[in-house]
Amino acid sequence: MKLLDKYNRINIAVTVGIMLVTGIIYYYTISAILTNQIDKDLVLEENEVFSYVRKNQRLPDVYESNHQQIVFEPLGNNRLERRFLDTVYRETTENDLEPGRALISSVTVSGKNFRILVTQSKVETEYLIQIIFLITIGVIVILLVVLILLNRFILKSIWQPFYKVLSQLRDFSPTNQTAVANTPSEIDEFKELDNAVVTMAGRVRNDYQNLKAFTENASHELMTPISVINSKLDTLLQTDKFTDKQSKLLNDVYGTVSRLTRLNKNMLLLAKIENGLIQDEQEVNIKEVLTECLDLYEEILKNKNITLETQLNDKKVEASILLLDVLLNNLINNAIKHNHRNGTINIELNSRQLIISNTGNADIDFEQVLKRFSKSNESEGIGLGLTICKQVCDNYGFILDYNRADRIHVFTITF
Amino acid sequence: MKILIVEDEPGLRESIEAYFTEGDNVCEIANDFTSALAKVSVYRYDCIILDLTLPHGNGLDIIKHLKENQYNDGLLIISAKNSLDDRLTGLDLGADDYLTKPFHLSELKSRVAAIVRRKSFDGNNFLKFNEIAIDLSAKTVLVNALPIKVTPKEYSLLLYFIANKGKVVSKSAIAEHLWGDSIDAADNFDFIYSHVKNLRRKLLEAGGNDYIQAAYGMGYKFIEQ
Repeated sequence: MKLLDKYNRINIAVTVGIMLVTGIIYYYTISAILTNQIDKDLVLEENEVFSYVRKNQRLPDVYESNHQQIVFEPLGNNRLERRFLDTVYRETTENDLEPGRALISSVTVSGKNFRILVTQSKVETEYLIQIIFLITIGVIVILLVVLILLNRFILKSIWQPFYKVLSQLRDFSPTNQTAVANTPSEIDEFKELDNAVVTMAGRVRNDYQNLKAFTENASHELMTPISVINSKLDTLLQTDKFTDKQSKLLNDVYGTVSRLTRLNKNMLLLAKIENGLIQDEQEVNIKEVLTECLDLYEEILKNKNITLETQLNDKKVEASILLLDVLLNNLINNAIKHNHRNGTINIELNSRQLIISNTGNADIDFEQVLKRFSKSNESEGIGLGLTICKQVCDNYGFILDYNRADRIHVFTITF
Repeated sequence: MKILIVEDEPGLRESIEAYFTEGDNVCEIANDFTSALAKVSVYRYDCIILDLTLPHGNGLDIIKHLKENQYNDGLLIISAKNSLDDRLTGLDLGADDYLTKPFHLSELKSRVAAIVRRKSFDGNNFLKFNEIAIDLSAKTVLVNALPIKVTPKEYSLLLYFIANKGKVVSKSAIAEHLWGDSIDAADNFDFIYSHVKNLRRKLLEAGGNDYIQAAYGMGYKFIEQ
């Protein structure tokens, strides 16, 4: 529910409530005042009767005036309480029944008691009250319509900066190079919000840049000690004869150092791609890069007895050869690494898609794998491969997707 | 062969120096920009192994200095920066090759040997080692003047061995030299063994000596007889 809707709902409910209460109070007040007015008329009539009786010592003639009737009845010895009451007024000319107000009183004429009944029609009062009721309803309807129209107008114009800031926030990514722009507004709250968002975005991006710079620098600095270790190992290898145990140890150290090297290289590469530092874009035929790439793996495939089936068509894209090479290399590398002996790899390239499918056992949680340093238990890799692939694809607007059918893993790049 | 090693990291510098110093090879060292510049201004080398990030200066300026004076020394850049820009700038300025740290000493040696070979190219582009002759332009191998059939991988392997003759070359160095990063996908280095075995068999069948020896399960050694 929108803030304004919520606000309006409460607003309208309260307004309508108050209007209704006001209407009711109006109704009662006005009907009380009017009844009071009628009562005064009745009393006036009664007084006229009294003064007539006092003067003439007889009852006045009964006549009918506008909306007023007077009736005398002999009362005998009964006493009568003087009172007002609501009654029905019979309009004699039209023979209508109208609501009325009556005064019952008594008068003594020459020792005889008479009851006086003065009745007056209330039809005009009722009419007045109806009008007041209609006006109240009318005002409520107008108010609702005005509020709804106002609501639309406000959403369209006044809240516009808010929605703009919101959409910028939604699209914000620290890796994105475009800065969050200021959204001009005349409303203080929105100005503050906008300033806070712009400042925050700047700070986040700055922190992220620092972190990336740190990663890059750290990887650079690590390269020197790694190369010293590597060269010392090569030197150690020249020294003397080694026992089986020693050579096993040395082999393990070699293996670990090359893993460390690859990890470091990949971290550097990732930092570079994210920083957009690799920009040697040119027209590249993916088929050519892929073929070159596959040549390198020929022996490794043979060694693992993996059957490679390819169906390659020409596909040209604007990209960096280096990054494309990294992308394809990583995908093929994965397809081999996560394959089992005697497995198959199927590569299909057409103008729309590159599909690499391979047999394998382990299930991959794709989203998980894309996060850095996540890898399956059996994997000897370092878990950066797919992250790099994703980053390269993002760079060129390709879509990297993963599917698994039975024990076939399928990676699809849609250009 | 006279080589200048320009590297500020002592550990690496010493290893390179130790690996290259043998027979008639002479190694000189420089550990910062000023001493490197002083050396290249006075002496000529067959190959200069140059680190780009140096105290007191940038290695690229040394390349510029060499080229301005039209010195024809071989130049191999070794740098921790794997950035394409540096690589291109270095090669544009006239460096002969570029090697990213970390590297195997055997890889460095084979690159230096290739540069020196290219620099001393004198019409007949043959590399001779005892009864083995390698035609570098045709990429063929002759044993006792008779050609033998080798695959491209075996050809590179032989060149690599000869450049590192007398040294133990680790399997991972061979694997990286022949297959690059793709070696990451392999479970083991078994297929290196078959390449080495095939090369050795072909050399022996053509009447060559048995130069290739396995070294403690870690690698191979091409022995000088």
